[in-house]
Amino acid sequence: MSRIKNSATFAVFKFEFVRQIKKPSFWASIILFPLLIFGFSLIAFLVGKDSATNVEKYDENSTIAVVDEARLLPEEAPFVIDGGRERGVEMVKNQEVDLFFYIPADFSESRNIEFYHISETIDIFNAESNAIRAILSQYLTANLDPAVVVAITGNFNVADNPLTSSGEPSNALGQAIIPLVFLVLYFIFLILFGSRLLMTVVEEKENRISEMILTSVSAKHLIVGKIFSMLLLGVIQILAFVLPIIILLFVFRDNAVISRIISLIVVNPTNLILTILLFIFSTFFLIGASTFVGAVVPTAKDASQFIGPIVIGTVFPLYFMQLFLMPEPGAFVEFLTYFPLSAPMALMLRNAFGTLSMPGFLIGLVEIAVMSVVIIRVTIKTFVKNAINFSLVLPKFARKRR
Amino acid sequence: MKNIVEVKNFRMDFGKKTVIRDLSFSVKAGEIFGLLGSNGSGKTTTLRALLGFYTPTAGELLIDGRPYDPEDSSVVVGYLPEERGLYRKETVMDTLIYFGELKGLKNPEEWALRYLKRVNLLDKAKEKLEKLSGGQQQKIQLGVTIMNEPKLLILDEPTKGFDPVNRRLLMDIIDELHKKGTAVILITHYMDEVEKLCDRALLLKDGVARAYGSISEIKKEFGGKSLDQIFIDIYGEENE
Repeated sequence: MSRIKNSATFAVFKFEFVRQIKKPSFWASIILFPLLIFGFSLIAFLVGKDSATNVEKYDENSTIAVVDEARLLPEEAPFVIDGGRERGVEMVKNQEVDLFFYIPADFSESRNIEFYHISETIDIFNAESNAIRAILSQYLTANLDPAVVVAITGNFNVADNPLTSSGEPSNALGQAIIPLVFLVLYFIFLILFGSRLLMTVVEEKENRISEMILTSVSAKHLIVGKIFSMLLLGVIQILAFVLPIIILLFVFRDNAVISRIISLIVVNPTNLILTILLFIFSTFFLIGASTFVGAVVPTAKDASQFIGPIVIGTVFPLYFMQLFLMPEPGAFVEFLTYFPLSAPMALMLRNAFGTLSMPGFLIGLVEIAVMSVVIIRVTIKTFVKNAINFSLVLPKFARKRR
Repeated sequence: MKNIVEVKNFRMDFGKKTVIRDLSFSVKAGEIFGLLGSNGSGKTTTLRALLGFYTPTAGELLIDGRPYDPEDSSVVVGYLPEERGLYRKETVMDTLIYFGELKGLKNPEEWALRYLKRVNLLDKAKEKLEKLSGGQQQKIQLGVTIMNEPKLLILDEPTKGFDPVNRRLLMDIIDELHKKGTAVILITHYMDEVEKLCDRALLLKDGVARAYGSISEIKKEFGGKSLDQIFIDIYGEENE
């Protein structure tokens, strides 16, 4: 008997996989989707570059300290301190000053200035860095001889040294790269497979075949077979998206930008495992939500009314990216982090931006895992009971509005 | 003879509406059983409850002594439902092979070719189902229903839409299965099919059994009238 059960699940898996992979639309999406992602990323980059970023915290009221080993500034200037670079860094760590600038002895040759500040955000567009440069110029202009100002600010390079609030060197971007890669993969899966799964489940009802098939195979094996076929298709799609990127990174690994990005990547084993688990559970939750709708509604047309809200609910946190970049998440971000539909993406964003505590991460993981199991089990039961529901029965209040 | 189907005190309510009231009957292993009645009398509801699609309000519906579960049942069931459909974008052959694999056939391809030859559709093997006529699609559905030689075959209006030639073909197929020991529950509005094929029958009206027994017993109960006339006597008043 168990051989028949397993072969039935495998038969569903094979049938669904082969018929999807035969569709031209599947291959078209493999080619088109990376292009679309690239296009949207480019637009987001161009728009984001000009938009306001989290730099309001630096203004004329920011406190600064400068260690001037090049002896360019008058010693009586109020912001010039003694004690070398270490003392300045300590002052930032202890939050005695907001910004610390270090002008090395060889400044006249190197033209390099280092600056230190607490930063929990990712300064993708150098907005924070530019704001700090402006603050330095402002201080110097207000306090010094114009000739000295020109000598320092006329042409210099900056080396940004952000620190975490605990005083450790901060590499927020490097730490975000791997979680963000998984977020992108989840987004791809959502866009490409959310509706496809739903349509696959609703198809038996749409084609009036559910009664016949459910006397041959249990709903559990039917749904499980469908889910695994979609997962394999998703893996193929993701590989088609990721492999060219990996190959390009490898081929151009000596390129300055690419080698810098690669060198930035931080691999924290514990976080990597949790991130992978979050991705897997989130994918199962998405599958559960899509198949549940497919199990409840009678036709693909009815299903299409529901897939939109699922997608919007899932990507909702992306609309509030700015809030997720804040070092201290507000109540709204906390709500999105644990609200069922938005939880996967909110957790992924907060994991990427380093604003998720370990207990918070674990609570979110358990929540999504439990919800996935519950929703898939409910889907299987619902599928049988709705197998012969050939028209959408809405609650009374919805029928009136219709 | 052992009962393959037992329905005891079955009641089915949909909201406030009672569709079946205290219905009891049995189907013996190897017999052809007619489940008869006008539209809306509760035939399809009874079959759906028997196969687990509906949870009965009261009573028991058993196949081989237990509620039906496609994978735990000791009896292989074939069901041709009233609502007909197939994967319209798939080919005839792919569909038959898929169902063959679902039902655990050792060589579904070989079975499919043999069946298609039998029902004169071998030339359509590579066609998509949506390209087939309604009657041709029905033959494919019947193939899916009988492919694993079920011990209980449930046919809900199997000849609806068939021309006389194909009706005869279907009757022959049912008869063959019956000779191999398959019990058949047949829902039909053609009384000649019932007279020709069925050993016993149940006539349902508004969810209540109006007649139940062997064909000869039912005829005797209604004064020796033909089944056609009995049907008209029972259900004709609905249209008056």
